[in-house]
Amino acid sequence: MPDYDVLVVGAGPAGSVAAAEAKRAAPELDVLLIERDPFVGTPVRCAEGVGDPGLREFADPDGAPWASRKITRVIILAPDDTEVKVAWPDVAWILDRTRFDAALAAQAAAEGVAVHVATEAVGMDRTADGRWAMRLRTSGGEETVRARVVIGADGVETMVGRWAGLDTRVPARDMESCAQYVLDGIDFDPDAIYLQFGDHIAPGGYAWLFPKSERSANVGLGIVALKSDGRNAREYLDEWIARRYAGGARTGYTVGGVIVHHTLKRTHTDGVMICGDAAHMVNPLSGGGIVNAMKSGRLAGRAAAAAIRAGDTSEARLASYHQAWMDLLGEAHVKYYRIKQALADLDDAFFNRLARTVNGIPSHKRTLGRVFAHALVRHPQLIPVAARFFV
Amino acid sequence: MAPPPLVRTRPAEVAAVDLAVCDRCGLCLPLCPPEAIHLDFQDLLIDRHTCTGCRKCIAPCPVGALAMVANA
Repeated sequence: MPDYDVLVVGAGPAGSVAAAEAKRAAPELDVLLIERDPFVGTPVRCAEGVGDPGLREFADPDGAPWASRKITRVIILAPDDTEVKVAWPDVAWILDRTRFDAALAAQAAAEGVAVHVATEAVGMDRTADGRWAMRLRTSGGEETVRARVVIGADGVETMVGRWAGLDTRVPARDMESCAQYVLDGIDFDPDAIYLQFGDHIAPGGYAWLFPKSERSANVGLGIVALKSDGRNAREYLDEWIARRYAGGARTGYTVGGVIVHHTLKRTHTDGVMICGDAAHMVNPLSGGGIVNAMKSGRLAGRAAAAAIRAGDTSEARLASYHQAWMDLLGEAHVKYYRIKQALADLDDAFFNRLARTVNGIPSHKRTLGRVFAHALVRHPQLIPVAARFFV
Repeated sequence: MAPPPLVRTRPAEVAAVDLAVCDRCGLCLPLCPPEAIHLDFQDLLIDRHTCTGCRKCIAPCPVGALAMVANA
């Protein structure tokens, strides 16, 4: 049975960073990164938007072939189509995830990580000596490998978490059902991302347009099915596109789930850590998860290396990973989640009025802080929302 | 309070997936309370012996690939 020190399941941003960091922290370790699909980075189940400062901790987007578009503005559309332009505090980027994920996996390989594609984990068992035996399926048949530490970076559908006995389930109210097209030949401001809220547009979520080039964009939305009028995400999206971008050619289509909860109570057990979407580390307000995935992957990779060097991969030892994540972002996500719940109580008429209030502030003075202060004074319904931030 | 039943009642209907429509996105897996749904390389599988017929996976499917069927 082939032996590895660290086995990382899933070559998305979380997994590739975890594998690279483990190998960088302890070059003597044997690290294996496996990916179910035959190509790293496909299929893309993502709107591909990411903030500049977080991205730069891991890769330089300037001139990179995986950076599709630089974003400097955000245009928020109220339910009644009132447009609100807000200056973005930092630049953002729209990635080409196919190339980005492949570049991260290549970085891991350059560190000395073994990368195996078209290799699916199908089950794992604890061995007598306290390691994990993972059954893998490839086109060549099944084989079993043994690892001291398994890092589950296997996304929303995580099986590693389940096999390890972690509770990775999520209530339906915290699952965004998303659908997205790549639309070609449509008109928009190519330096801006567009977000639209509204119970009849995307109940419990929002619709988005993220530019990929001057005339092509990811156009999608997420809904909470419990709040739907009976239609699924794709049906809501088809209506939104018919209304706003009717002339576009649909050159791509994807669907998927985004968990807008806070971090799992436990993201680790003996010899196992899970990170990224698998551990519910998505920002519950924005639905953004790429940078969070990479940050948690970095923590997990380093924790794995340190634990193996210390000869202790127990749950107690790996608790340092969970704690480090909670200190970094997990606790903040609990606050964001409370705000998300408070916002859910406000209706479309409120957001339409709020949009007009914000448009009353001169655009050059329209910083997020000033928008927030104005909104609180003019719309006392927001006070309970703001209060949630401090409890 | 009545003690919990020793034998689970067999649900009249269980969830089933139309693999011609399913996109294998995996969204329904964490929604399933008894963890009856699995992704198996190319296919999404629902264990009808584990499914309790709670319907929590049905509406969230972005493409409408899941439906209740008689538990024959």
